[in-house]
Amino acid sequence: MSNKLPVAVGIDLGSAFTKVIALDEEGKVLQKIIEDTDPYTEKQAGRLLDGITGGEYHRVSIVATGYGRKLAKRSTRAVTEISCHAKGIFHEMGHGGTLIDIGGQDSKVIVISDTGAVLNFTMNDKCAAGTGRFLEVSANRLKIPIELMGKTALEAASEVKITSTCAVFAESEIVGLLAKGKPVDHIVRGLARSLVLRVAAMAHSLHPPKPFMLSGGVARSPAIRAFLAEALGQAVELPEEPQIIGALGAALMALDIHKGK
Amino acid sequence: MSDPLNIPSRKEVLSDYQSSGQDFVAVYPIHYHRALLRAHDLMPVELWGPSQYSTTSADAHLQAYTCSVVRCGLSFALDGGLEKARAIIVPHSCDSLQGLGSVFLDFIQPKTPVLTLYVPRGRREMDVEFFARELMALDKSLAKITGKRPSEKMLHSFIDNEQKADSAMEAVLNNRIRIPMSNRQFYELMRTRQYVAAEKFEKLARDTLESMQQDNRTDCSHKLVISGLVPEPAELLSVMDDAGLTVVWDDTACIGRRIYPETDDADPYVRMARSILGAPPDSALGSSVEARLAHLLDLTRNKQAQGVVFWSVKFCEPELFYLPQLSRGLELAGIRTLLLEVDISEPASAQVQTRLEAFAESLT
Repeated sequence: MSNKLPVAVGIDLGSAFTKVIALDEEGKVLQKIIEDTDPYTEKQAGRLLDGITGGEYHRVSIVATGYGRKLAKRSTRAVTEISCHAKGIFHEMGHGGTLIDIGGQDSKVIVISDTGAVLNFTMNDKCAAGTGRFLEVSANRLKIPIELMGKTALEAASEVKITSTCAVFAESEIVGLLAKGKPVDHIVRGLARSLVLRVAAMAHSLHPPKPFMLSGGVARSPAIRAFLAEALGQAVELPEEPQIIGALGAALMALDIHKGK
Repeated sequence: MSDPLNIPSRKEVLSDYQSSGQDFVAVYPIHYHRALLRAHDLMPVELWGPSQYSTTSADAHLQAYTCSVVRCGLSFALDGGLEKARAIIVPHSCDSLQGLGSVFLDFIQPKTPVLTLYVPRGRREMDVEFFARELMALDKSLAKITGKRPSEKMLHSFIDNEQKADSAMEAVLNNRIRIPMSNRQFYELMRTRQYVAAEKFEKLARDTLESMQQDNRTDCSHKLVISGLVPEPAELLSVMDDAGLTVVWDDTACIGRRIYPETDDADPYVRMARSILGAPPDSALGSSVEARLAHLLDLTRNKQAQGVVFWSVKFCEPELFYLPQLSRGLELAGIRTLLLEVDISEPASAQVQTRLEAFAESLT
């Protein structure tokens, strides 16, 4: 953390987590915050931005993104997570391709050009299948810490086929599988596979160019990364911090605004 | 932007009809001829929803995969919304609407007479002849309700009025980019065609054309064509306005695909049939994917649109079957496309709004 005041701030008010990135004039990261998204999102955004800017809003450009982007009242501009993720991943990886972002409440596939422009995209609908929420619901039912879901899935000796792609129905299916005596780790592996197949189908609908990149909180799961590579037929590139790509993209846009680009 | 035209709402017009004793007929989507109803002194009021109407009453009668236009429309009828109509007309536009006709006639059997209308899926001379006979049969059914037998001369006169209204609608669409109206206002105006008299619509359209600017508007960042069934929920039009997207042509079934060409057959039924079957390419009229694609390519090129938004109602099979090939064809021609899939019984979801905004950002 730096005492220097930022000139550009990106705030990603996601459904599960809120991420903030503050940059200096040269684009160096001065501060990074990740915390659970509060139900009182507007208040939370105000508190975070007050803290990071020291209240000196006139000196700072702020871009807000994520589902709560319009609730960050002090932001200079609200930009969708599609554009911010594309900007952030292009900055991190240095090339275009297809970004798969699996967040808490939605997943999206974004086709990015060689110059970083968004060429096409698709998102899940209101359904929570194919999102982090799907894993959360399942982890809760199986009483496994969410952070251990990936490891458990990868180490499982076998896999149970989860036929349902709906988070609510999957929970019922888990109950049925447990009743049949299926081992928990086999079910966990099946769940990870189910999520990946859903997202891969979304990606295929766009005729996606290679390479594939992955971002979002769910990208931290080694099982999701491995299964996604299998489903797509090639390795998936991962940025250093997949969870903050949207906030980083927003911060970079704020820096562009600050510099008058 | 203000509303200098005082565009009447559907509710206001219906209320006027009822207080003045004007009979009206509720008409489900898509194709029929308004002149036939007008000749019986019946005002057509179309039912494309209502949007965001509870579907609880209809759910017991319909399969889970029936679209929300039919679901809302049936609920509205079951809740007594059509009791004051002199008749209910259900054109056979798709399987779901045909099913709706059967549900009405075989199971619900409302007090209000229900009349069905078979619309052919082709544009051959034999299709025109078949459809003319269908319109003649509808005329006879209406005569039983109203006791009127409109003369051929009278029918022609009402057809003339409808043609003038369609021509005015086309002129407004053609000049959209010079009309200082938000997308939402623009659609409010265009959709009055679904419930006001042709003469009234023509006046609204001509007044609009008088208000237009000499040059194209300068506040249009991105020009779009909308394709689909019906632009509901309407708040998405405001999202478009805020995102700097301007609709420069409409290819929805409720507006652009019902700009019927002028016809001059001596037989009024043949004249009406030929006019409807001469409509722009439409999945509900059995047009090929190739014809639909060529039409959209022409529209986007002529209007210099950067993208096409497919505003699709969930489970609308006639539209959804065409989508992959239409999107691919447009993308290959360098025209961006976006699919918005909506359930008109619900408000617009945050995800759908994000899609529209992201689409606008990606056009920059």
